[in-house]
Amino acid sequence: MFRRHTLYIMSVLGCLCMMLAGCDHLSEDERLIYEKPEPAKRVVLLEDFTGQMCTNCPKATDVIGQLKQTYGDDLVAVSIHGGPLGFAGNARFIGLATETGDEYYNHWELAYQPIGLVNRHGESNYPEWAAAVKEEMSKTAPLLLNGEASVEDEAIVVNISAEGTDGNVEGKLQVWLLEDGIKAIQKMPDGTVNQDYIHNHVLRTAVNGTWGEAFSIKEGEERQHKMTVALEPGWNRENLSIVAFVYNDQGVQQAAKFDVKL
Amino acid sequence: MMKRFLAYLSLCFCILSATAWDRKGVSVSGSIQSDMLVPRHDTGTGAEKTGSFLSNTYADLMLQSKYIDAGARFEFLEYPLPGFEPDFDGWGVPNLWMKGKLGKVELTLGSFYEQFGSGFILRTYEERSLGIDNSLFGGRIAVKPVKGVTLKALSGVQRRYWDWNKSLVSGADAEVSLDEFIPSLQQSGTGIMLGGSWVNKYEKSDEQIYITPVYRLRFPKFVNAWDVRAAFNRGPWNVLCEYAQKEADPSFDNGYIYRKGSAVMLSGSYSGKGLSVLLQAKRSENMSFKSTTDVAKSIGISSTINHLPAFTQDQTYTLAALYPYATQLADGEWAYQAEIGYNFKKKTLLGGRYGMNVKANLSYVRAIDRQFFDTDDPIVQTNGYTSKFFKWGDETYYRSFDITLSRKLSKAFKLNLMYMNQQYNQFAVEKHGSTIHANIFIADGKYQFSSKVTLRGELQYLTTKQDKGDWAYGMLELSLAPHWMITVSDTWNCGETNLHYYQGLVTCNIGQHRIQGGYGRTRAGYNCSGGVCRYVPASTGFTLSYNYSF
Repeated sequence: MFRRHTLYIMSVLGCLCMMLAGCDHLSEDERLIYEKPEPAKRVVLLEDFTGQMCTNCPKATDVIGQLKQTYGDDLVAVSIHGGPLGFAGNARFIGLATETGDEYYNHWELAYQPIGLVNRHGESNYPEWAAAVKEEMSKTAPLLLNGEASVEDEAIVVNISAEGTDGNVEGKLQVWLLEDGIKAIQKMPDGTVNQDYIHNHVLRTAVNGTWGEAFSIKEGEERQHKMTVALEPGWNRENLSIVAFVYNDQGVQQAAKFDVKL
Repeated sequence: MMKRFLAYLSLCFCILSATAWDRKGVSVSGSIQSDMLVPRHDTGTGAEKTGSFLSNTYADLMLQSKYIDAGARFEFLEYPLPGFEPDFDGWGVPNLWMKGKLGKVELTLGSFYEQFGSGFILRTYEERSLGIDNSLFGGRIAVKPVKGVTLKALSGVQRRYWDWNKSLVSGADAEVSLDEFIPSLQQSGTGIMLGGSWVNKYEKSDEQIYITPVYRLRFPKFVNAWDVRAAFNRGPWNVLCEYAQKEADPSFDNGYIYRKGSAVMLSGSYSGKGLSVLLQAKRSENMSFKSTTDVAKSIGISSTINHLPAFTQDQTYTLAALYPYATQLADGEWAYQAEIGYNFKKKTLLGGRYGMNVKANLSYVRAIDRQFFDTDDPIVQTNGYTSKFFKWGDETYYRSFDITLSRKLSKAFKLNLMYMNQQYNQFAVEKHGSTIHANIFIADGKYQFSSKVTLRGELQYLTTKQDKGDWAYGMLELSLAPHWMITVSDTWNCGETNLHYYQGLVTCNIGQHRIQGGYGRTRAGYNCSGGVCRYVPASTGFTLSYNYSF
C-alpha cells in the first residue's frame, strides 16, 4: 500500500518536473535581434538626470552617445545635474548641479540616478532608453519648432517660431540653455574620479522659468516667442545652445535644439 | 489587484477553514510587531521629517490542526520607516496560506518560503529589517516517502512588495540521507547526505533592451539553475560541499551578458569539547538570479530568487557593524572564512576561577578574475568575460580579523573584550568612497547587583584615516527584572563631523507583550543581514516598538 503511494507521488513529482522543465538555450547568433532605426517623425527629448558623484552615470552618457550617433539631431539630450549625487562645486572643483536641476529631480519624485525621461512619459532606466526613443520617434508631432539665438550686449536673445501642423496644442513652452564641452570631475563606474571628464549638453539654466510659459497653437497657425537671458561668468559662450520644447500632460509634443551664435 | 484578489481569497479561506476543522483540535497562534517613528527635522544629522507618523506593522495569524494548518499576515506599511524602496509602502494581506498534512505528504497552497540547500539557487525568506519578503505564491509539495528521503516540488510567482512578478518560478529538490540505508554508516555514527535541486524561471519578457540602438536583446524564456551538494558528519566533524550553476540569464545586474553563473562552496567544521573550528571557502560568479527582467523592479534587493551567504561575521556591536559587507552576487567573489573558538577550563592558569572563552574569526573576500572582451562586436560583448577559476581579481572587497575574549571576573562581573582589524572596500559595496582600514576596540562589561538588577556597559572605539575618521560609542543598559530595561547610548563621530547620535530607550516586558519607547538619532548607513544590505538614511525622533506573540 505504502509503496504504491510512494511510487504514485514520485511519478507525479517527476511528471511535474518534466512539465515545468524548459530548455531555451540561445546560441550566440540568436541573442540579438537587428532592428532598423526608426525613421524620425519628430524630435525626441531625453532628459538625463545625472550627477558628478554618480558612478553609473557615465554608462548612461555612453548610451546617449550611441543614440545620438543613430538619430543625430532628431534626438535632443539634456543632462540635468542635481539630486543626491549632484555636485554644486567648491573652491577647487567645478560643480554642475543647479537648484533648477534639484527642483526637477524632486518634482518627478525620482529615487536614484542615472534615470531619464523620454518625452516626459514616465521615468526610464538607461538600458530602456533606446526602446523608448525608438517608440517616440515613430509618433507624429502636432507642431514644428524652430529658433535662433545670438549674443547681444552680454545677453542671449532667443527667438522661437512654432507652426501648428496637426490639431490644437495647449501646453507650455520651455526654453533651456545648455553648454557642451565642460571639463569637470566625474566619478566613474570603476570607482575612480576622472578630473578631466568632458560633460556635454549640460543644463545651465531655464530661460523662461523652471516650468516655462503658457503656450497654445492651432493647426495652420504660426507663433513667435522672444526672450532673453543674461550671460553668466563661467559659461563658455562658444559652446552654448538652446533647447526649446512644448509639453503638456500628454508629454513633450515637439522639441528643437540650436546653437547660440556669437 | 493583489489586495482585491487576496480579499476574495481570504473569504474563501475562512469558509474552507470553518468547514474543514474539527474545532476541538484547532490551536490559534500569532504575533504582532509594530515599529513606529515620529520623525523630526534635524539639521545636525541631515535627518528629514518625512511624515508626522511612520510605522511598519505586521500581524501574523496561524491556525493549526491535525490535518490542516493555515495562516495569514496583515501588513500596514502605508507610511513606512525611512529607507525602504519606493514600492515598499502599502497595506493589506499579502501572505495567505493553507497547508494540508497527510501522512508523509505535505501540500501548501498560497504563500510559502523555501530554501534548497544553502540557497544558491533558491531561497525565499522574510527579513523585516531589510524590507525583504520574496515569498512565492503558488503550490508546494513535500514528501518523505521513506525515512531519510525528502522530496520537494514547487511552483509559484514571487512577491515583490504589493504585487507579484510575472515570471513563474518552479523547482524541485531531493535529499537522501545514506546512513538511513547503510547500517554500517549508522553503526559508526557517520552521516552522509546527498542532495540535488533544480529551479526554473519562466518569463515571457516584454522588456525592450537594446545593447546598441539597433540590436535588441532576446531574453531566454526559461532560465534553469541546478545545485548538487553532499554533507558528511561524524562525531565532531562536519563537511559540506556544494556546487550550483545557472544558465544564461541576461539582466541589469550582470550587464546583460549570457555567461553562465556558478557558485561552489566547501565548508568544514569541528566542534569538540571546548574547541570549535570552522573553515570555509566559496567562489561565485554571475549568480544574481531575479524573478523579473523589468529594470525598475530588479534594481535593489527585491525580486531575488536565490541567496549566497556572506562568509563574513554578522557583527552585533555597533562600531564593528559600521562597515558591513554585502555579497557581490553579480560580480562574483572568492570568499574565505576561518573561525576558532576555545573554552579555557575553570581553575586553570588562563581560565582563572570561572573559565574563559576565546573566539577568533578571519574573513577574506576577493574579486574573481574577469577579462572582459575588448571588442565592438555586440554579439561577442554578450559573452561578457572569461575567468580563470582559481585566479583572483585585483580588488580586495573585504578583510577582517577579530578576536573576542569572554571572561567572568567575579561572581557578579563578566567582561567581553574584542579587537577587530578591518579592510572594507566601500566602493564595491556602496558604490562610493574608497577602501577603509579600521581598527576597532570594544569592552563590554556586565555587573549583576542582585538577582533582579543588572547593569551592562559598552565602550567602543573605531579608528580609521578614511571615510569620516574615528568613532566612539558608549552604552549603559540597566535591567530591572523581570519587566524593565533602560538603555542610553551615544555614537560619536570624533573624526570629522563631531556629531553625536544619542539614544535613550525604555523597554517593558509584561507577559508576552514587549513595549519599547525612546528618543534618539540614527546615523545614515547600511543595515545588513546575511550579506544583504539596505541603506538607511539618518533619522531623528521618538520611537515606539510593540511586540506581542500568542
